[in-house]
Amino acid sequence: MKPLSEQSKRRVNWLNDGLWPWLCAACVALSLLMLAALLTLLATRGLGHFWPATLEEVTLTSGDIVIGQPVRETPLPLNAGMERLYFTGNRDINGANWRWIAVDDISAQTTPNDLIRLERTPWGDFIGRLVAVESDGQRLTGQAAWDYITTALAQPASQQGSSDLLLITADGHALRQPLSNVSHFQAPNAMSWGQKVTAWGQNVWRFLSEGPRAANTGGGVWPAIFGTVLMVILMSVIVTPFGVLAAIYLNEIAHQNRLTHLVRIGVRNLAGVPSIVYGVFGLGVFVYGIGGSIDNWFFSDELPSPTFGTGGLLWASLTLALLTLPVVIVATEEGLARIPDAQREGAVALGATRLEMLTRVVLPMATPAMLTGVILAVARAAGEVAPLMLVGVAKLAPQMPLDGEFPYLHLERKFMHLGYHLFDTAFHGEDVQAAIPLVYATALLLVLIVLVLNLTAIFLRHYLRRQRGNEC
Amino acid sequence: MTSPRLPRVYLPLRQLQDRIATGLITAGGIGVLLAILAIGVFLAWETLPLLALGDTFALSKLSPLAWGTLKAAIAAMLFATPIALGAAIYSALFMSARLRSRLKPALELMEAVPGVVVGFIAGLVLAPWVERHLASTLLLIVWLPFSAILAGALWHLAAARLRRRLPHSWAGLWLIPWLVCMVAVALWLAPWLEHHLLGGDLRRLLDQQYGMDYATRNALIVGIAMGFAVIPSIYALAEDALADIPPTLMEGAQALGASRWQALWKVALPTAGPGIFSAVMIGAGRAVGETMIVLMASGNTALFSASPFEGLRSLSAAIAIELPEASPGGLTYHLLILAALSLFLFTFLVNTLAEVVRQRLRRRYHRLGGRP
Repeated sequence: MKPLSEQSKRRVNWLNDGLWPWLCAACVALSLLMLAALLTLLATRGLGHFWPATLEEVTLTSGDIVIGQPVRETPLPLNAGMERLYFTGNRDINGANWRWIAVDDISAQTTPNDLIRLERTPWGDFIGRLVAVESDGQRLTGQAAWDYITTALAQPASQQGSSDLLLITADGHALRQPLSNVSHFQAPNAMSWGQKVTAWGQNVWRFLSEGPRAANTGGGVWPAIFGTVLMVILMSVIVTPFGVLAAIYLNEIAHQNRLTHLVRIGVRNLAGVPSIVYGVFGLGVFVYGIGGSIDNWFFSDELPSPTFGTGGLLWASLTLALLTLPVVIVATEEGLARIPDAQREGAVALGATRLEMLTRVVLPMATPAMLTGVILAVARAAGEVAPLMLVGVAKLAPQMPLDGEFPYLHLERKFMHLGYHLFDTAFHGEDVQAAIPLVYATALLLVLIVLVLNLTAIFLRHYLRRQRGNEC
Repeated sequence: MTSPRLPRVYLPLRQLQDRIATGLITAGGIGVLLAILAIGVFLAWETLPLLALGDTFALSKLSPLAWGTLKAAIAAMLFATPIALGAAIYSALFMSARLRSRLKPALELMEAVPGVVVGFIAGLVLAPWVERHLASTLLLIVWLPFSAILAGALWHLAAARLRRRLPHSWAGLWLIPWLVCMVAVALWLAPWLEHHLLGGDLRRLLDQQYGMDYATRNALIVGIAMGFAVIPSIYALAEDALADIPPTLMEGAQALGASRWQALWKVALPTAGPGIFSAVMIGAGRAVGETMIVLMASGNTALFSASPFEGLRSLSAAIAIELPEASPGGLTYHLLILAALSLFLFTFLVNTLAEVVRQRLRRRYHRLGGRP
């Protein structure tokens, strides 16, 4: 081999020592960048949706007038120039909620303060102008009409009385709208900054506390939040005792031999088995097997319509409990293994039985580890959707699984889930375009829940390690 | 002489409690472990009727799905493996300890992002964007590694003061704005390049010259999205393997005059090789079983095609879509359970292999005198 000259040697060194580490550093930067981009996208689009958007009145070169909320701009497919998508509402009059307008066709563009936006139960949003309010034969216009609507909407629906709004759209189409069908009334262009912030807060609250409307394209996600939380609570009630029991057995009671070693590897590996496989197991064993038998024994008068023989809250929680068992077992075992044997021996030497040693010495020390495991399990379960599609999630559950009717907790009912709600509205909705902002908000909520749970687990583990030292 | 017969001692209550509790724990523990093992037994039991049927034609229905699973997993691994291993190497060997203790939780959070959210972003945001900017996307894939090298070269040429300000051990952080700038440059450059080098639209060119169709949701999108989901798990395991290398090994290599990179390439990688292998295996296991991302980002068309621009349908997605509608006991039902069984067996075997390799590695480190 030819010996390298001093200079080329240095160049090779530069290539070796200077180049690859930068590629590696860029990998870290790229991963962080992707994570940051994802979270920023979710945060801006998810929270931005609730901001009262400015309405524009656009006059086209053809003379038409359109009122709407500008959504986005894209290049025209054939000619040069841009086109803009407007949300125009008024589906009952126009037949569609959306309108594409080429930017070059716009001759004038204003934002008058008297434009209003109504949320109605049938037909979705109305965007246009308010002419007058007719209430019990009385006709109110101007400021009086505004005050009347504001006070009327603040009262519960039963006390509103019968009154009609006289509305007019951009192209002069008159409309009579009963006030009882209106859920929200806004004149976004006339709002001050402070009012917009208040309205934003109210919108966020309505998103969190209301049920979905208009085939999931509007309204809130309260039933989905409720279903997710209830399912996760049931799941942790099931998984915690069993997971801890199995971990104690494996670590404290079973003889440590080849078999326990194999079992431990097996449990660890089950954490890596795809969640859909657990879903298949849940469907085959819980729903068709156990559920079918329960139906035959106890609910035979309702057959062939199944009671427990179809997906439901109980089966979903059981399936997810099985899915998260390995997480709890592994975390608890790690906690148990960290406790020095001297503690156990000390307790036994002082005359404690094994049960007393476990309950008074070992378990209190392992509590943070168990808690970490349960939190991780909850975080995993909250974000898991695939198995739920098989064992009992519904796109729109007619009844909540928890209500005032005996037996209060209805384990056989289907429930709504945030993750599935997201999937369903984004991919199977009627008007995906209208649902997208809500999907962003739902995704943000889901990610926040899961991240907060994970952060709690991380801090707990950190605290645990610091308290105990890294070595024991 | 017989020993004096001891008076029979009645078990005190405490010991009785202890016996009962031990028995209960044993029963509970074994029960839970059996319940977990029942998954495999159930899946195998439910596929037995297929054997009785002996219908090989039915099995051929699964083959495009198996191909789709494989294609999606390969795409994801092609995207994730270099990034995850690069990140692991950098953070184990070059990064400052303070940044490292912050980075690990951040990447753990990345792992926690639910698949359904990643799938939604990939299917409804990324896919239409890539369809409109295909040339930019392909350019980015080439451009980003190049820009990292460019950053390195500029850094070596920069004044010593600047170098101290922006040390290499923090590069993972301060390279982020640099990458953002480079992405912006690439996006600005791409339409121009597309126009002058390729004579217009890349997608039309692909269609006319090579006859390649372009589906909005395709293997490329799945690769990026699932890669995103797999990166953290590969990273975590590979980083552990690299960081646990006994420090004496690296110090010895450097004392003999090896550069940091040579020490990494000749000493660290061969030593930690099994650990890195098991990390990649576990990543592959995750990629094969991931459901929601494939379901939302792949278009769900069962095709036999190797083109990265065409859709696919994976086993897991097929199970999620078709099983709720399949009547229990029917042919489709058993076929889908067979699909689930193959996923189960594959991931279980891959994970076991990875675990065994990892434990060997730990013993090797122990022998070499590192941390246990």
